[in-house]
Amino acid sequence: MLYRQRKLDLPHGELDTPVLFPVRNVGKRSSDNTPKYVGTIPEFSAAMINARSIRNRDPMWNRLTNGVTLREEMDVPEETIIFADSGGFDFSEQEIDTTPKKTIKTQRKLDSDIHGTIDIPLSRENRAAENQRRIDRSIEFALEASDLHTGDALLFASVHGYDPETIRNNIQYLENHGDFDGYALGSMVPIRTDYKKVTKLVLAARNATEKHLHVYGLGGLVYQPLLLYLGVDSFDSSAFIRSAGNRNYLIPGFGGEELHNIEDLDRLPCPCPICGQRSLEDIREDRTALTQHNLWALATELRRFKYIAESDRDVENYLDLRFQGNEVTKRAYETAKQQVRRLT
Amino acid sequence: MADAFDISDEQQDYSQYGLEANPFPYSPVPAEDPEIYCGQQHVSEKISSTVSTMLSTGKSKHLVITGKYGNGKSHTLKYTRSLLRDRDDVVVGYVAQPGEGFLDIYHEFVYDLGFNRVQELAYEYLASVARDVTDANPISASAMKSLIDEGEILLSEIVPEAVRRLSDVTHFADFARAIVHMVYEDTNLYAWQWLTAEGIRYEQRKEMEIHSALDDDTMGVRAFTAFKNMLLELGYTGVFVFVDEFESIARLSPKNEQATLNSIRHLMDQNSSGLCMLFGCAPEVWQDVMSEYHAFSERIGEEVALKPLTNEHLNDLVLDYLSRERNGPTEASSIDPFTNEALDVILQRSQGNVRQALAICSRVLDSAIEENREQVTPEFVQESM
Repeated sequence: MLYRQRKLDLPHGELDTPVLFPVRNVGKRSSDNTPKYVGTIPEFSAAMINARSIRNRDPMWNRLTNGVTLREEMDVPEETIIFADSGGFDFSEQEIDTTPKKTIKTQRKLDSDIHGTIDIPLSRENRAAENQRRIDRSIEFALEASDLHTGDALLFASVHGYDPETIRNNIQYLENHGDFDGYALGSMVPIRTDYKKVTKLVLAARNATEKHLHVYGLGGLVYQPLLLYLGVDSFDSSAFIRSAGNRNYLIPGFGGEELHNIEDLDRLPCPCPICGQRSLEDIREDRTALTQHNLWALATELRRFKYIAESDRDVENYLDLRFQGNEVTKRAYETAKQQVRRLT
Repeated sequence: MADAFDISDEQQDYSQYGLEANPFPYSPVPAEDPEIYCGQQHVSEKISSTVSTMLSTGKSKHLVITGKYGNGKSHTLKYTRSLLRDRDDVVVGYVAQPGEGFLDIYHEFVYDLGFNRVQELAYEYLASVARDVTDANPISASAMKSLIDEGEILLSEIVPEAVRRLSDVTHFADFARAIVHMVYEDTNLYAWQWLTAEGIRYEQRKEMEIHSALDDDTMGVRAFTAFKNMLLELGYTGVFVFVDEFESIARLSPKNEQATLNSIRHLMDQNSSGLCMLFGCAPEVWQDVMSEYHAFSERIGEEVALKPLTNEHLNDLVLDYLSRERNGPTEASSIDPFTNEALDVILQRSQGNVRQALAICSRVLDSAIEENREQVTPEFVQESM
C-alpha cells in the first residue's frame, strides 16, 4: 500500500494530509453558494478555488483589490487553507486568456497557500498532436511560474498526459528544470470512467516523485479510497455540490443514490449532524442540507480509510469489501492492487 | 515388459577418439546461429559478392540459392545471416517460408527482428530527432531512453516532430505513429501488433491515431518500404531479407502465387537501394518461376546452385565437425576415427546430401563407441546402416 500521511507547513497554518479540498464556486457565480462547512467539519478547513474566475468577476475583484480579503469574501476564518488553481479546466473550451505572471499575481493577491500553475487540459477528442502541444505548453507555463515564484506559498506544477511515460517524463523534466513543492495531476476528469487508465497514471506520478501529489477533480466518494490507497496526498472535488444539484444523496461506503428512488423511509441512513436529526422529507426539500450532508459523506469516507490504516486492519481487505458492490470499480481496484503489489 | 526399456542419462565417452562428445547432430536441422559453414566455394563467393555489393554501393541486389532438400540452403542462409547480424549498420530478418503471400513474409520478417529490436529502432529515431531539436546529444537508443526517463528531454517536445519527420521519410503517417508508439508502455503492444500485421481492434488503432489496417499485401509492401526508408534515414546501409523454402509458393493457387510474386516485384521496384533479398528455393520451382514469371525472375537476376557434396567437401565437413569437439592427442587435421574409405561409403549412401551425410556420421560414430571400434571402416559403415 502506498498510503501515506504528511504535514504541510503553509502560510495559514499546518495541514495534515491526505486531505480533500472541497471545490468552492466563488467567482463562478455572483456569490459563493457553497454552504458553510469550515469550522463545522473539522478536517475540511481547506478549499479549492479558481483564481481565474475570481479575477474575471469584476465586482468581486474590485472588492478584493480594495482591501477585502478573499476569506472575508468567502465568509470563512482567516486561517482557512486555500489552494488556488489557475482555472485551467475552463481552457478546454476557451482560449487561454492569462499568463503565468498574471496568474501568480492573482494567486498572491488572493493570499492562497498553494498555487497551481496554468494548465491546459487534454481531451479525449483532441488529436494526439494537439494534446502533445497542450502538454508542452503546460510545462512551459509551469517553468515560467517557477521562475516568478518567490516562495510565499507552495507551488504545485500541473501535469498532464494520457500515458505513464508522459507523466513520468513531465515530472522528471520539471524536477530538473524548475523548483516545485509538489505536482498536481490534471486531465483526469475526461477519462474518469476508465479506472484502469487513471490508476496507472496516478501510480506513474506517485513513483516519479516523493513530493506532494495532488489529483485534480477526482475526490468523489468512489475515487477517494482508490487515491488514498495509491498514495495521493490531496485531491479536490465538487461532487458534493453537483450531486446535491441532481438530488443525489452520497452514502459513505456505497456511492450516490438519487433521492427520488427512496420513498417510504422516515430517516436516511447517515447519522451525520445534518441527517441525524432530520427526516427524509426535510433533506429532500433542502438543497443546502443535502450539499452539507454530501460533504459529511466525503469526510466519513476519508475518516473510515484513515481509521482502517491506523488500526491493525488490513487495508486491502477493507477495500475488497468497499468495492465489492460494483463490478466496474471492483475491477479497477483489483487492477490497482496488482500494480501496487508489484511496487511494494 | 518394463525391462524392455533402458533409459539413462549416462553420457557416452568419446575420449578414445580424442573427442569431448559426438559433434554431429542426430537430427541435422540448421542451427539458428550456425558456427560451421563448410560450403561450396562458388556459393559462398556468389553470396559474398551479392552482399558486398549492397554493402559497398547501397544499391539493392538479390539472389536465389537453389538446391535440393538437404543440400544446405537453410544452413547457408542462416550462416550468412549470422555473419551479417554482427554488423551494426544493417538490419537482417529471416523468413522461414513465404506463407500465403507477401503479408506473411513481412510478418515473419518483423517478427524475426523482434519487439525489442523494433522498440530500440523507435528510440533511435527519437534520438535522431532529439539531436536536432534539443540541446541533448543522445547517441544510442539506450541513451535516449535514459534521457526520457530522467526528464532531460521532454517527450511532448520531440514526439510530434518525430511523427512529422518520419511521416515525410516513409510517406506513411500510420507507420510513423506505430513506430513512435513503440516507446509508450500503454500502447507498445498494440503498435507491435499493428507493425507485425497481426491485426488490432479499431479502438486500439484509434488510441494511436492509426487510420489504416495493415492487412493485405499492398499494405505489407508499403510498410516494409517505410521500414527500410526509416532505416536508411537512421544511417543504416540497408536491410537483408532471407526467405527460405521459397518453393512453397508452388502450393498456392496460381492466382495467389502470381500475387505473391508481384508483391515481391513491387517491393524490389520500390526499393532500388538498401535492400538485399536472398531466397532459398528448390530448383524445379525456381525453373517454373523463371519460365512463367519473367517480371519477377528478371529482377532477381542471379542464381547460384548448391550441388551435392564431393569427396573433398565431405572430408572438409567431417573435419570441421570433429575439430569442434577435439580435445585429445589426435591431430586436429585428422578425420579419425573415420577412414577416407568410410567417408566414400557415407558419400555414396547419402548421395552427396549434407543432411543425410551428417546423420549417418552421427549414427555410425555412436555405433563405433558402443562396439568399441578403433576405427570407422567402410565395412563398419555398411554394417551400421
